[in-house]
Amino acid sequence: MRTGHFKDSYASLVALSDSRTAWVWTGLMALALLALPLLVGAYSLTLAVTILVAIVGAIGLNLLTGTTGLISLGQSGFLAIGAYTNGILLTDHGWPIWASLPAAGLVAAAISLLVGIPSLRLKGLYLAITTLAFSFIVNYLILFFEGVTHGSNGIFLGDVTIFGFDLSADRPLYYFTLAITVLVALGALNLGRTRIGRAWLAIRDHDIAARAMGIDLVRYKLLAFFMSSFFIGIAGALMSLQIRFINIDIFGFLLSIEALAIIILGGLGSVAGAILGTVFLTLLPEAIRLALSLIVDPNASTYSKYIYEIRGITYGVVMVLFLRFKPDGLIGLWRDAKKFFVNWPLAY
Amino acid sequence: MEYFALLLGSGLVIGATYGLVGMGFAIIYKATGVVNFAQGELLMLTAYIAFSLTQGLALSFFPLLLVTLPIAMALGVLLERIFIRPMLGEPAFSIVMVTVGLSVILRGLTIMIWGPDPHEFPIGLSTTVVHLGPVPFYPVQLYALGSLAIATGGAWAFFRFTRLGIAMRAVASNEAAALLMGIRVDRIHMLAWSFSAAIAALAGVLFAAMFKLGPTIWFEGLRSFPAVILGGLDSVLGAALGGLVVGVIENMAQGYLGQGLREIAGFVVIVLILMVRPYGLFGDRQIERV
Amino acid sequence: MRGMLKFALLALGTLSAGGTAAWAAEPGITDTEIRIGDVNIMTGPASFIGQAVSVGSKVAAAEINAAGGINGRKIVIHTEDDGYVPARSFQALKKLIEVDDIFALNGTSGTANVLAMMPLITKANLPTVVTTAPNELVYNPVRPSVFTIGASYEAAFFAQLKYIHEHNEPKTPVYGLIRQDDDFGVAVENGYSRAIKELGLKDGIRLKYKKGQTDFGAELLQMREAGVTVLANGAIIASAANVLSEARKLGLDLQVADVWSEIMPPSAKLLAPAGYSFFVGDYIASMTDPAAVSWLERTKQYMSDTDRQAVNRYTFITYAGLKVLAKAMAACGKELTRACTVENLKKTHGFETGGLTAPISFDNEKQLGGTEVKVYQVNLADVSFKTLTGYTQY
Repeated sequence: MRTGHFKDSYASLVALSDSRTAWVWTGLMALALLALPLLVGAYSLTLAVTILVAIVGAIGLNLLTGTTGLISLGQSGFLAIGAYTNGILLTDHGWPIWASLPAAGLVAAAISLLVGIPSLRLKGLYLAITTLAFSFIVNYLILFFEGVTHGSNGIFLGDVTIFGFDLSADRPLYYFTLAITVLVALGALNLGRTRIGRAWLAIRDHDIAARAMGIDLVRYKLLAFFMSSFFIGIAGALMSLQIRFINIDIFGFLLSIEALAIIILGGLGSVAGAILGTVFLTLLPEAIRLALSLIVDPNASTYSKYIYEIRGITYGVVMVLFLRFKPDGLIGLWRDAKKFFVNWPLAY
Repeated sequence: MEYFALLLGSGLVIGATYGLVGMGFAIIYKATGVVNFAQGELLMLTAYIAFSLTQGLALSFFPLLLVTLPIAMALGVLLERIFIRPMLGEPAFSIVMVTVGLSVILRGLTIMIWGPDPHEFPIGLSTTVVHLGPVPFYPVQLYALGSLAIATGGAWAFFRFTRLGIAMRAVASNEAAALLMGIRVDRIHMLAWSFSAAIAALAGVLFAAMFKLGPTIWFEGLRSFPAVILGGLDSVLGAALGGLVVGVIENMAQGYLGQGLREIAGFVVIVLILMVRPYGLFGDRQIERV
Repeated sequence: MRGMLKFALLALGTLSAGGTAAWAAEPGITDTEIRIGDVNIMTGPASFIGQAVSVGSKVAAAEINAAGGINGRKIVIHTEDDGYVPARSFQALKKLIEVDDIFALNGTSGTANVLAMMPLITKANLPTVVTTAPNELVYNPVRPSVFTIGASYEAAFFAQLKYIHEHNEPKTPVYGLIRQDDDFGVAVENGYSRAIKELGLKDGIRLKYKKGQTDFGAELLQMREAGVTVLANGAIIASAANVLSEARKLGLDLQVADVWSEIMPPSAKLLAPAGYSFFVGDYIASMTDPAAVSWLERTKQYMSDTDRQAVNRYTFITYAGLKVLAKAMAACGKELTRACTVENLKKTHGFETGGLTAPISFDNEKQLGGTEVKVYQVNLADVSFKTLTGYTQY
């Protein structure tokens, strides 16, 4: 049983994890994730892909909002940019997916600098609303430049293959998304333990203090925008791979809200939190569906009219309850549980 | 010139609704430091309640307000008690997200109770077109402009002259100090919510009477963001003015440039304004110290 | 620290207990039932469409089952909500296919939603009758298992503008268009362009607006500046009403062509106060049409009170859709397969819907039927609709 921490080198201090147990569990989980397609049905696999894609997006948003403290309501805009870039490059220009996917991230990242620069002077909710404005403007521009974006017709992704695997099939898509998600998660974790990640945390805690300590605010804030949008752009591209049809209606304002809800419920600033939050919020409607079907007969006409609205309302209620009773999110819940077992039978 | 005057007229009308909604945002932000993302839903819910009142009691405009505003205020108090009060002391961001959750709940609830059908919402005003110079108005549109003027004047007087108003400003400027001076901060928050709900109700009734009542009117809340940002989140009067400006800009952009630009004109303008003045035109600049 | 991810896995695992469907020879069929899916807008502002659709499916299924089902198998409807969000339509259809194990799909939400489902439909060769999104994008290119009922918005607008041109044209006819900035708006504009070109009309102005817009002050001023006297109003519901209300404020004298959604009573009641006797082109019988009246009488035993309130044009068309589908399935006999159903749907010719639509035929290249349009005009006094033409192909 571990009882305390003693570190004698800087490297061990910034290591991803110092615990052999954690590594073992991580390995086991990796195995389980690899074996998942053999264990579950196609619908669960689709849900899994949805979750993985959302995780990539949530990790991206978390870098900006959780780690650097810049609140963004522009998620849907960056997702749209990623999806459209991917779709256009794949279908109109015949790029292979291994090139169009990073390109989607890069385009979203480059455009984020356009938002980032005017946003440098903005704080808190002013920034949030500016990013919201940005997502509306992106929406407008996508419909406006229909020569490039196919406007309101949308884009169908044809067959996309990588190394001979057809990404329209459930399993290859799952493994592909899983690989990307793992890369993104590792990327974000590693960013967090470099000079950059620490600078971001300092900016989040107090940006003026951070500047006084020699952190170049312009550079690091823009870098946060850049990296975050890169990941979100990739999430958008993955979204387009899953649905295989891109249309502006997919990227509504509520998507931005959901993304924020995910990282808050999961726990701000933590990669694991983003993952937990995504899993929780994606499965929540399914859980509510299950629960409701146990309580009420879906065919009873009095309820059937309301059942779908009730599901939406429950979503809101869960959000409120979490913020009220578990403000540090699911990751906080996990830490508390861990602490409890480590310290048991003592309280501290 | 006539074209310009007509654009100005229709811009002011829609601007008045932005202004009213924006004032609702600003009151809550001023007192509690939180942007209430459920403001549009508050507008929706109160408008539907008012709608049921007109159906049941056939009330005309002023009696309708007399009944609706107290109900809205009670609703505001209730929501503050249930959703916001328990969050006292949490970071503003968390409270903002609570209002986001609240918005989802209110939206679902409203559709559940009243259904998705749109309704005509007559409030007992004549529908004969009135001409002010070359510019035609529906009477209800003039009422909307008048309401904005009265609400703005009322808010100005309230914050300037009444004990409560001054207490509210004190809380806005420094919550801890206000608390130490014996101001019941929690009551001030409650009050802010009830005032905000009342203004939302006023905006909702007028908006629905002008532009029909339907389950999408919550979106009016988001549309009013440019107004409140332009004025400065914590400036109640600025929001009213910001609303008028944004309404006019939207109509001018559409009238002279076209291309459906109206939908983003307001947002483009706030992005530009914020680059120059990061706290809006009339917002208080926060002085930060380490 | 990342070990907690196993919870995610656990959750997924529990879910999959319901997720793995048993492999039957043909999905969605047992000895006693046939499961039919329906992805629709059950929540949010457009839920009046989904509610109406599900009543249509329900009534058709009840009627078929009361008559002994399809070769002894009862029809069971599985409805999924997509809230009008394409990504959720995809998700919902995936669930219907994998978990609920449906045999065919009837009732399909909006155009973008059908398109988002299209890759899944094609892959499963899922017999699909599209009843609520007769958009060119849906049937061009043709997907083998997809059959569409209904005229395009293009035809509906062309029909109305042609009628106005021939019977109600003002002295100085200048035509103007306002439409949404999406696929639906494009279809409306196509109809408008076609009318301008084929009938040699004067095109005054074309405007786009964003879905959900409320204030049309500037747009109607632009119309007035362009001297518009015939308005192709591609706005819907509250937006459509606000367009007309602005027109009235400016004192414009207009002939107005509207979208078929405006024939539904709640919507028509919004538009009427502006005082324009607007037209609607629709491929479905209006609520006051004898065909609809007798249908309502005939089927009331299958409907609850809430059902009856939800009935509108989408109910009729979905009812007709399931009936066509049922006929195709019945013709396959006891050995029902998807391939056979698709084959029979393809042979459908002149299927009678009792006047709810024109007879439906899918034996054409586009697999598109029931495209004949009636032109209606509103009677402002009681907000009913007068039928001006019979079902005509445009």
